[in-house]
Amino acid sequence: MKKILLTLLFGIFLIGNTQVFAQELSPERKQAVDSLALEKVRDLSKYIKIVGSKETPWSEANRVIDRAEELFAPDAEIGVSSLASNEVMYYKVRKYLERLMRLNYDRVEIDWYKIEYVSDLQRQPDGTYVGVITVFQTFKGFDKEGRLIYQDTTKKDITVYVKRKETQIGGRLIGFWDVLLGDMRVKETSLK
Amino acid sequence: MKLHVKNIILITMLAFVTIGGTTSCSSKKKLAKKEYEAKLLQAKTDLNAIIEGTTQWTLEEQKSRIEEIEKSDLQNAEIDALIVKAKEVVERKMAEAARVAEEERLRQIEEQNKVKQVTSLEDYFTIIAAAPNAETANAKIAEALKLFASPDVPVLIIVYHVGDIIDYDAPTTAERYLNYIKDQKKVAVGIYNIKYDSNNKITELELIKK
Repeated sequence: MKKILLTLLFGIFLIGNTQVFAQELSPERKQAVDSLALEKVRDLSKYIKIVGSKETPWSEANRVIDRAEELFAPDAEIGVSSLASNEVMYYKVRKYLERLMRLNYDRVEIDWYKIEYVSDLQRQPDGTYVGVITVFQTFKGFDKEGRLIYQDTTKKDITVYVKRKETQIGGRLIGFWDVLLGDMRVKETSLK
Repeated sequence: MKLHVKNIILITMLAFVTIGGTTSCSSKKKLAKKEYEAKLLQAKTDLNAIIEGTTQWTLEEQKSRIEEIEKSDLQNAEIDALIVKAKEVVERKMAEAARVAEEERLRQIEEQNKVKQVTSLEDYFTIIAAAPNAETANAKIAEALKLFASPDVPVLIIVYHVGDIIDYDAPTTAERYLNYIKDQKKVAVGIYNIKYDSNNKITELELIKK
């Protein structure tokens, strides 16, 4: 009898907790999380632009590579495509950024636009929110005479993972949203 | 006989004058003594009130009253001792009041400096974001970092705050955040709260998304 009672109480406790954890965020709060994840992708677009630019000092580019790498989940990969090939190559984030820094052009212009959700952040059973953000990237490579020698536009999908975490700062418990980018997959590549 | 009567009248008149004068002098003395005792009593009461701190007078008024009693020269040993004690009490209180006033003045200056510092930190954000190149931005970052206790001072960014619910972005550091502004070339936050150490250096910076 005692055992049954204990089991019942434990069951009620578990159900109660599950309900607490499963509570959905208010629309305003969810909006703030959506914006935060979107901002991380925008941050990445700036980092890629800085790393790709031939005007960026080497030390700065390396520092930015560190920051950009921190945006990604470990083992995340970035797809690289070319108009010259149908094959998409996938590189670890650091490898991708180091290749970008050493591209054989005299000047490189990289711009990201239409950064938006294609799949809203959805809560997973473990509490992580997962969504997909799509971006369009234009790449232009110039020679030393300033002539455009290569350009393409690539549509890429980036998986984003957002998880609520807590940490102690100055004796206070801080609740924060940890946003990590996953694989960046090439969806299509075109001349324009 | 006539002379004799005259003498009697004269002697009588003289006696009246003498008696009258003696009586008047005695009254005056009595009055003076009464006044003196009243003055003494009042002085004693006032001085004790000053010493015990029960008076409602300001410190300046207390000082004036002591000087007044001292000038009246009551020639009373007890009063003289009370004057010395009261002077000590008032001087000590005045020194304490001066110390408190000085502390308040310094606190206000510190507050003003803090306000100025907040402004200059926000200015640094703007300057770093608008820097034409990495070199200029780095020089400004180095300057701005002098406002912080260390480059690793935590920087917290509030992304959502309604009621008791506060959501932050992942915590970062002063140096990393200033470099972030340089890289992103934008400032999308306002200063929400700053904590300082005893050297007036920032030990924690809380920002909020605009």
